[in-house]
Amino acid sequence: MSKSSKKKNKSSIVVKTLIYIFLSILAVIYLLPLIWVIFVSVKDDKTLFVSPWSMPERLMIENYTFAWSAGKLGIATLNSAIVCVATLLLCLVLGSMAAFAIGRMRWKLANATMTYFLTGMMIPVHCVLIPLFTRFSKMGLTNSRLGLILPYLTLSLPLTIFIMSGFFKGLPNELFESACIDGCSIYRIFTHIAFPLSKTGLFVTGLMTFVANWNELLLAMVFISDDTKKTLPVSLSKFVGPYNTNYSQMFAAIVIAIIPTIIVYCCFSNSIVDGLTQGAVKG
Amino acid sequence: MKKRILALLLTAAMTVSMLTGCGDSKSTSASADGVQEITWMFWDDLEATEDLISKGYKETVDRFNKDYEGVYHVNVVTTNLEEYYPKLNALVAAGETPDCFIVSPGPNLDVYVEPGVAADLTSYLKADGWMDTFNGGEGAFSQQTYDGKIYAVPLNIAAACVFYNTEMFSAAGITEMPTDWDGMLSACQKLQDAGYTPITISAGTAWCLSMLAGYLCDSEGVDTAAIDAGTASWTDANVVNAANKLVEISKYFQPTAAGDTNDVATANFYNEEAAMLIQGSWAIAQINGSNPDFEDKCGVFAFPGTDGRVIAKSDSLAMSASTEHPEAVIAFMKYFTDDTAQKYTAEVGGKIPVTKVEYDASKAPAQLAYVMDVFGNAKSTFGFYNESLATTEAGAAFDDTMVSIYLGTPVEEGLQSLEDFYKNNVWKK
Amino acid sequence: MDKLLKDKKAIFIFVAPALLLFTFILFIPICQSVYYSFCEYNALTKPVFIGVENYRQLFTTDRTMKMAIKNSLFFLVFSVVTQLIAGLILAALLTNIKKGRNFFKNVYYLPCVLSSAALGLLWMFVFTPKLGINQILAEFGIEGPLWLMDTKGFIILPMWVIAFVSLWQYVGQSMMLYMAQISGISTSLYEASYIDGCTKPQAFRYITLPLIRPMMATAMSLNAIGSLKFFDLIFNMTEGGPNHMTEVLATHLYQQGFKYFKYGYASAIGVVLLIICLLVTFFINKFVKVDNYEM
Repeated sequence: MSKSSKKKNKSSIVVKTLIYIFLSILAVIYLLPLIWVIFVSVKDDKTLFVSPWSMPERLMIENYTFAWSAGKLGIATLNSAIVCVATLLLCLVLGSMAAFAIGRMRWKLANATMTYFLTGMMIPVHCVLIPLFTRFSKMGLTNSRLGLILPYLTLSLPLTIFIMSGFFKGLPNELFESACIDGCSIYRIFTHIAFPLSKTGLFVTGLMTFVANWNELLLAMVFISDDTKKTLPVSLSKFVGPYNTNYSQMFAAIVIAIIPTIIVYCCFSNSIVDGLTQGAVKG
Repeated sequence: MKKRILALLLTAAMTVSMLTGCGDSKSTSASADGVQEITWMFWDDLEATEDLISKGYKETVDRFNKDYEGVYHVNVVTTNLEEYYPKLNALVAAGETPDCFIVSPGPNLDVYVEPGVAADLTSYLKADGWMDTFNGGEGAFSQQTYDGKIYAVPLNIAAACVFYNTEMFSAAGITEMPTDWDGMLSACQKLQDAGYTPITISAGTAWCLSMLAGYLCDSEGVDTAAIDAGTASWTDANVVNAANKLVEISKYFQPTAAGDTNDVATANFYNEEAAMLIQGSWAIAQINGSNPDFEDKCGVFAFPGTDGRVIAKSDSLAMSASTEHPEAVIAFMKYFTDDTAQKYTAEVGGKIPVTKVEYDASKAPAQLAYVMDVFGNAKSTFGFYNESLATTEAGAAFDDTMVSIYLGTPVEEGLQSLEDFYKNNVWKK
Repeated sequence: MDKLLKDKKAIFIFVAPALLLFTFILFIPICQSVYYSFCEYNALTKPVFIGVENYRQLFTTDRTMKMAIKNSLFFLVFSVVTQLIAGLILAALLTNIKKGRNFFKNVYYLPCVLSSAALGLLWMFVFTPKLGINQILAEFGIEGPLWLMDTKGFIILPMWVIAFVSLWQYVGQSMMLYMAQISGISTSLYEASYIDGCTKPQAFRYITLPLIRPMMATAMSLNAIGSLKFFDLIFNMTEGGPNHMTEVLATHLYQQGFKYFKYGYASAIGVVLLIICLLVTFFINKFVKVDNYEM
């Protein structure tokens, strides 16, 4: 090995170390507040106000049991899971179908259609809440899970279409041309080439949709009255009283609510990494 | 291929209908077995709450459902306070007004009375002596009466008082409770000299500071009705005086007052970091619940210099004008004002009962007796400023103005902005 | 090929379900909202048509609106710029390391998956003078500022605080999008460049950046729209206070519509928001021109 490349190696090690130090400091900034939440969740309200940063003297595990039973978090988690998974699957299928047509196929109104969908992203949900609620209530869709899935799905579609059409645009032309020469139908091109090749995009948008819906509060609060159909964010807000808030129990409930998200997230994000490396290898 | 996509769609659609099929919305009116079902909407969760009044409401609901089993049944719809009115309004807009709902008197109730969403309850109250059980008879309903018709039933009363730490007061050598403004200031000064923080208050939660500002305005003789009518203005001398008083007393606040929320300010008091707390009597439950040892040290006096006027607030129940089961709703409402519920209100909840119920004062929190004294000695009561101005928005504008004055906006400039708001939003109509 | 991609029936089948759903569930209510913006409507009584009165008020007498527009634009510029830079840097750094890449990426993305309402509450806690950072600063003898209540300056301190918290929360999203796109770039391109004597930063400048431009446009539009609609964090940290100084368009809309039930007025704010969003996306797509590179 020549001298210069050794030097280069040395300096690259220094650079690498610097990068790692920077990333680690950042990671601490990211994790510290979340760890603090866990601390708070095992304190009682009184010590919380006296010494917020101290170690808890006694673990208040009962915060968790209380939050779980009084907040009815079990059924709420199930409801959230049903609503979010159904929305996610439908959204990925319907969204990428539309995105494929917009991003890959050739028709005059493609751009106009895209803009049309995009308006949906720009309107805050508050604006459509009352007209939507009135309509759904006439159709008997309030107080049911379907009544949440439909608006969630619709609100997630623009983002999915927006990102997925970008991904479809990025796929190499040759693939489609060769598939075309092989006599593939357009549907087959979509299901067997475009869809599988955009796995990374699907995971990213899937994650974003899932998370957005998992945390959505306002629609769920207004649309669902029945305790057995409430979703997690609605149940979390139960701990905010009219005059005072049970902070420690609420944080316990938040921790409970976060855990499934983190599990789902880890599954998804590892798939994204797989998708990423696969893409790199293939490319 | 087309078929497969179609099949995929169909499966997806089926999954959705399966998912939702298991839970169709329940009909809110009479069910098959002749039980009259009604809904009651409330702003706190009855299971998860720590609020003692809310817990009492849960007992009332359970009692009602048990006693009337097979005849009436009430379903409770809860949200938290933040989303309560959005949800209620959405329900009203969709024609699904809950049969019975809780509401604060003042502009919040106006909103439901004017378009005829809330029902006139006068005849029910007068029919069988229900009204006579209330303290003061018809007078108990002054905040709920519009053109001689009563639209809501009060459930309890909370009064805004000054809570104080008796130990700190005697350590600072204060023997007599202040009765006027100068007395208040000198008490604060003595406390400060003795090394205590005189007052804990929250400017982070605007209505807390505004409660104090409301007292100051009232003691200067500010007439909110005249202001609403446009015959007096926010830049009049008396409002300026009140705002100056606010600035004057603010040097006795705890240093973190600007950022402290309501919960933190109250915690400062029961953790004995400050000598006085200006709060509604609902804070009693929170104080005693968080620090039971503090109950003996906690005294209460009326806010000084107001000429015997006290800020009071009540939760009230209204009935939907479109309910199919008014008898059930009335029966339900009566459960909130019967002796059991009202006793609970005083003995456990620490709020002032609305009826002439006899309760065991020894069971009630020590502070309640003092609050009752304050309330009993009051010459008259008035509502929270932010709940007695022309609209809820005007109330919030008042709160915000007071906070900004406290944070350093010059008094004249702050009041002028409130005046401008009134010009643009209230007086033009 | 062309014929296949112009298949009208296929296009219809692909687009129709999404289009139908969107039209019925979102677009019609949006139109209704636009109509309400010309009405006096409080959701409890029937809407009364009053012409452009709501808009006139909005732009002449409503001080909060001015504040909200100023804050929203600040937010827009801040988050588009910082997210672009920080997101790209993180993505570039992470694609260049092997050990711990997954860990770091997961950690930075984590706040994105948590509810911003809960995080807003958490940060409010952290910035409360009695409970949060100021207590720690006090240990070192520093008197911390009023993070969420300070009202001095053109862009007040609370806005900066909220802006940084939002950067903290959402930068993972931009990072993820850029990483996804970078991974699509063929490694042979880089190898060729290294043989030609390119350094890594040079490769980033001349290969990565141009190739991820489409994603930059996408991510920037997403950030722009997201920042204009920004609601949860502000609502939970300051509720628009003190005295409406941290109000943005979305919180102003919420307050007017759901706190004071001026539903028609709130709809007018929504329409203004929609128009600003449309303009901003239009300009981003115009200036971050998407060239079609073959990858």
